[in-house]
Amino acid sequence: MSTFVEQKPTQNLEPFKGVKKVPFEEYFTSGHRTCEGCESAQIMRLMAKAAGPRTIVIGATGCMYVANTSYYSTSWGVPWIHTQLGAAGSSALGAAAAYRALMRKGAMKDEPINVIAFCGDGGGADMGLAAISAAMTHPDYNLLILMYDNEEYGNTDIQISGTSPYGVNTSFSTPGKVKRIMHHRWKKNVAPLIVAGHPTCKYVATISTSYPLQAMNAIRRALSIGGPTFIHCLNPCPKGWDFDPEIAYEIGNLAVNTGIWPLYEVENGALKLYGKTKQIAEGNQKRLPVQDYLLKQGRFAHFTDEDIRFFQEKVDEMWEKWLIPGVIPLRKEVEAGLLPAD
Amino acid sequence: MATLTLPVEQQKPPVEQEALITGAEAIAVACKLANVDVVTAYPIRPYDTVMQYMSQLVADGELDCEFIVAESENSQFEIVKQASTCGARTFCGSSGIGWMYAMEVLTVAPALRVPLVALVGNRALDDPGAFGVEHNDALAVRDLGWLLTWVDSGQEALDTALIAYRVAEDRRIFVPLAISCDGAFLTHSQSLVKVPSAEQVKKFLPKYDRGDLLLHPDNVISVAPQANEDWVMEIRRQNYKVTEKAVDVIREVYADFERIFGRKYGNPFFEEFMTEDADVVLFGMGTLSIPVKVAIRKLREQGKKIGFVRLRWFRPFAGKEIAKALERFSAIGVIDRDLSLGSPDLSGVVATELRSAMYTNASTRPPVLGFICGLGGREVTLPDVEKMAESVFQAAAGKAQPLTQWIGLRG
Amino acid sequence: MGQLFAVEIIYRGVFQKTLAKNITRGIVLAAHYEGKPGISFGRYGDSPERNGIPAKSFAIVASDDLTLQLGMAHYEPTQVDVTVVLDDTLCKGIESWAWAGLHAVNQGVKPDGTLIVASLQEPEELLQMIHRREKPYKLGIVKAIASFSGMWIYKDDHTDVRILGAIAKAFPELMSIESVEKYINTKLKSSLKATSARTAYERFGAIEIEPGRGNAEEPFQFELLKWEEMREGATIKGQPQGGPYTDPVTGKLGGFRPARNDKFRKATTRTTRPVVNFETCTKCTLCWLNCPDGTFDVTPDGTYDANLETCCGCGICEAVCPVENCITMVNEAEFHDNNSQWLSYKKDKEGYLQWLKTTIHPIEQRSYGFRYRGQYAEQVPAALEIAKKG
Repeated sequence: MSTFVEQKPTQNLEPFKGVKKVPFEEYFTSGHRTCEGCESAQIMRLMAKAAGPRTIVIGATGCMYVANTSYYSTSWGVPWIHTQLGAAGSSALGAAAAYRALMRKGAMKDEPINVIAFCGDGGGADMGLAAISAAMTHPDYNLLILMYDNEEYGNTDIQISGTSPYGVNTSFSTPGKVKRIMHHRWKKNVAPLIVAGHPTCKYVATISTSYPLQAMNAIRRALSIGGPTFIHCLNPCPKGWDFDPEIAYEIGNLAVNTGIWPLYEVENGALKLYGKTKQIAEGNQKRLPVQDYLLKQGRFAHFTDEDIRFFQEKVDEMWEKWLIPGVIPLRKEVEAGLLPAD
Repeated sequence: MATLTLPVEQQKPPVEQEALITGAEAIAVACKLANVDVVTAYPIRPYDTVMQYMSQLVADGELDCEFIVAESENSQFEIVKQASTCGARTFCGSSGIGWMYAMEVLTVAPALRVPLVALVGNRALDDPGAFGVEHNDALAVRDLGWLLTWVDSGQEALDTALIAYRVAEDRRIFVPLAISCDGAFLTHSQSLVKVPSAEQVKKFLPKYDRGDLLLHPDNVISVAPQANEDWVMEIRRQNYKVTEKAVDVIREVYADFERIFGRKYGNPFFEEFMTEDADVVLFGMGTLSIPVKVAIRKLREQGKKIGFVRLRWFRPFAGKEIAKALERFSAIGVIDRDLSLGSPDLSGVVATELRSAMYTNASTRPPVLGFICGLGGREVTLPDVEKMAESVFQAAAGKAQPLTQWIGLRG
Repeated sequence: MGQLFAVEIIYRGVFQKTLAKNITRGIVLAAHYEGKPGISFGRYGDSPERNGIPAKSFAIVASDDLTLQLGMAHYEPTQVDVTVVLDDTLCKGIESWAWAGLHAVNQGVKPDGTLIVASLQEPEELLQMIHRREKPYKLGIVKAIASFSGMWIYKDDHTDVRILGAIAKAFPELMSIESVEKYINTKLKSSLKATSARTAYERFGAIEIEPGRGNAEEPFQFELLKWEEMREGATIKGQPQGGPYTDPVTGKLGGFRPARNDKFRKATTRTTRPVVNFETCTKCTLCWLNCPDGTFDVTPDGTYDANLETCCGCGICEAVCPVENCITMVNEAEFHDNNSQWLSYKKDKEGYLQWLKTTIHPIEQRSYGFRYRGQYAEQVPAALEIAKKG
C-alpha cells in the first residue's frame, strides 16, 4: 500500500470459532415490524451481533429502514441513523471522515469505531451504486457497506431492481395476457463488479442468511481488515418471493445448492469459495436443478418448462463457461462464430 | 491553479491582516479560521474555485480537515451531512444544477438538524446550460428550513461565513445555512479584505457541540425512524420553532460580531443605501447592488430622490422589520434575478415575498413593482436601473405600471 | 342525513390481502345493486403490509352520495356496524403499523353491531381471547380454516363469498343476500360461489355478548408525546442491553434475555407458536441463531426459550431444529397466556412433559404460504367441505 495512505487502526474482531462461541448480546433486538420469517431482518441481527457495541449503523431507505424503526419504536441497540436510498456509500464516508478528523484533533476519544452502512439491492445495485463505488476507492477510510439483497424493492410492495432474477413476478413485472415474461434482465453481478473495479478495496464477500456463522465472520473480517469493504448478502423474502415463512432457511440453502448464489470471499485479491459453493466448484457436489428452487416460490409460479430451461442454461453457463466459474463472466474461449471482425 | 495571496503567518499580536483575495478565497479563509473538520468537493462552476483554495490550504498544512472529492453533488452533500451528525464541522458548496442534484440531501438536512454551512455560487439552472448568475438555485430550498443569505463583497463573504457557523451551530437553530455568492464577479474578482486573527475567531465561534444528538457508540439513539401521521406534525413543529427564533439569534450574533471584530453591519437583515430622504426605493439581493448603487448616485445628482435596500437574509425573511422600513416609501421596485413561473402576478420570488410581508405588516400600501432582470448572468446595466427607477417614479406619481416587467430583454 | 354503514375487515397482512380486498369490494358492488353508493379502501397506515402483521380494510356504504361524503370525511370509521376477523388468532388483539399499543378486535363494533370471526372454534373459546368491553355486541362465527396465501398466487377457497353471505345475514340493511348472489353471478361468474354465499348466509347466527364478558386483560397502550416533549432531530432512544435472569429452581442468575422493544412487541402477528421440549433439546443453538426476531431467551440451563411476548410465529425455528418434536409450531388459538415455557418446565418438569404430549400435534393446515405449485388447488376441496357443512 502506498505510503500516502493513512489508515486508522480497526477493531480486532476475531472470527467466531463455532456457533457456541457466538455471543448472546443482541444489538438488534426483537419488536421490529418486519414480515414473519424476514431474512433481511436476520442479517441485520447477525450484522449487529458480529459488529458489537462500538459501532454506528447507517440505514438507507428500504425495508430495513421502514420496518425496523417506526418513530418511537426501534430495535437497534447501537446508534443508528437513516440515510437516503442511494446514499449508503456517501454516508459511510462522511461518518468515517468525521471520526477521523475529530479524533486527530483531539476533539473525540481516539478509538476504532465500526462504521457500517446498509442498503437493499435497490439502494446498492441501482440508485446507490455510484456512491458505493466511490467509497470503495478511498483506502484511508475504514467502513463496511452491507447490501442486503431480497431481489426487489421490497418496501414499496415488491418491484424489480437490478438484482431481480430473470422472469420474476413483481408488481412492475406481472405476467399478463400478452406478455408472460416482463422482466428480461439477468441479475447484476454486483460483488465481482466491486472486486474488478476497485483494486485497492481489500475485502469483498458474498454471504447468505442460511450460513449465519460464516456471514458473521465475513462481517467481522470486513470490519477488521481496514479500508472500505463490501458485502453482498442474499436474503430470501417470504413476502416478495411468495413462500411460506417457515421455509426461508431452506430457500436460502437452495439458492446456494443450485449454484444460483455462489458464496465466496475476496481478500486482498485472493478468491476463496466456501460452503457448498466450494464443493460444487471442486466437483464434490452436483448442483441441484434450479427447478427445485424456482418452483418453491410463488414469484416463479408462472414459469413454463421453457422458462425453467432458459434459467438453467444461464446458471450452467455461470459454472461451465465463465472464466472464474460463478464469479467472473469473461469467457474462457470465445465460441465459434462470435469472433470480432478482423 | 489557484494561488492564495494571504500573508505568511507572523509572530505578531493577534490582529486583523489585510489581504487581496477573491470572494471564494475569502470563504476558504473563513473555513480555515473556523477549523472545519470535513470538506467535500465536486467540480461545477463558479462555486468550485473555493474548493481549489481549500485543497491548497490542506496540501500546505494550513487547514487540518478531511478533504474528500465526491463523485456527485448528491454524495458530496451526503458526506458532510453524515459527518455533521457525527460531530464534525463541515463545509460544502455547489452551483446551479449541481445544487439541484443534491436536492435529496438538502431536503433532509434541516429535519435532521444538521448545521451545514454551504456556499452556493449562484448560477442559472439548466436547461440550457449557462454559467451566469441567477438565484433560483439557492432559492429552491426556501421552504425546507434552510437559512439563506446573500452577500455582495469579499469582506461580507468572509464575515458572513464566520457568522454562519455561529448561527447555524447555535443550539436554538441547528439547521443548515447557505451563503449565496453571485458567480463570476464576486467569486472571481479580488478585493481588499480584512482577515481576522485566529484568536478573534476563537472568541467568537465556540466548538460545535451536538450534545445528545451526536452519533457515537456512547450515545445509543435511533435517528429519523420512519414516522406515520401520529408523529410527523410534531416533528415539523420543532423545525418551525427554529424559524420563530432565527431572527433573534441572528441579531444576537451580529451584535457579538461587532463587539469582537469591530466591524459594524448595523441591521443584519438588510442594508439601506440613500434611503433617508428617498421617495422611492429599489430592492434586491446580491451583486446587482453595485450597478444599482452607481445608478442611484447618478440619479441623486439629477435631484431624483431614490434609494436602495439590499436584502441580506432571505431566510428568515424578517418581514416585520422590512415592511416597517419600506412602508414610508411611495413606491418600491423589486429586482428579481430569478423567476417564479406561474406565481401571483407572475413576479419573481423576492417581489412575491415582499408583497406578502407588506400586506400583513405595513400600515400603507405602496405599489410594489416586480422587475425580472439579469437572468443567466446578463449584466444589470446602468440604463437598466434607470429604466426601473423611472417606472417606480411613475408608480409613485399614481400612474399604473405593470406588476411584472422584463428589463434588458431583446424583443 | 341518510343512512351510513361501515364494515371493517381485520386480517393478516399480505397473507389475506387479496381476500380482504375481495370482501370490501364485494360489499360495495353488492350494495350498489340496491342503489347505495360506497367506497372500499385499505388503511393507508398499514401499507406496506408485512406477512402476518394485522391490517384493516374498510367498506363504507351510504343511502346517498351526500351521506357517503360524511363517511369519507374521516380517515377511517371509528364505529362500524360489522367487524370481520379473518383469522381467529387475531382475536387476541392487534398491534399494527398504525397504532400505538394493543387494540381489541371488538373495539370498533357498535353496541348493536356484529363481530364475525372466521374460525373452527366455538364462541366460548373465542371469548377467552376477545377482550371484554363495557358495551354489548353480537358475535357470530363462519366456520373456516383461516384462508392464507401470498403476494402473487391467491387461494380461491370461497372464504370471501362466504363472509359476504354472513354479513348479509348479520346486517341486511347494508345488502341483501340476493344482491350478494347477483354480484357473484354477474362479476365473479360462478354459481358455485353463489351457493357458498347462500349456504353461509343460511347457517350464520350471532349471539349477544353482554358487557364485561371476555378476556380480562388490559390491552397495553402508550401515550403519544407532545412536540415539546420529543427530542429534536427526529431522534429517539435506542435499546439498552439485556442480561442474565433467575433460574426459579436454583435461584441463580444465568443465561441471557435480550432487552425487548416494548413499543411494538409483535406477538399478535403469530398464528402458531413454537412449543419447546427442553428435555430433548441438544443446545445446538440453531433456533436461537436463526430467529430473525431474536426471540429466544438463552435459559440459565443453556437451552432456548421462545419469548412469547415477542415471537411472531414464522416457524423457522421448527424448520432448523435437528431434533424431532423438539420444537413444534402449534395453533396459537389453543393458548391463553404468554408465560415462559421454560419457567413452567423448571417449576414442574413432569407436569410440563405431560402437557407437551397433548399439546404437540400436527396442524392440519400449517402452511400459510406457497410451498409448491398446485398446493392451493389441493387445499381448496377441504375448505369447500367445511363451507358445505357450514
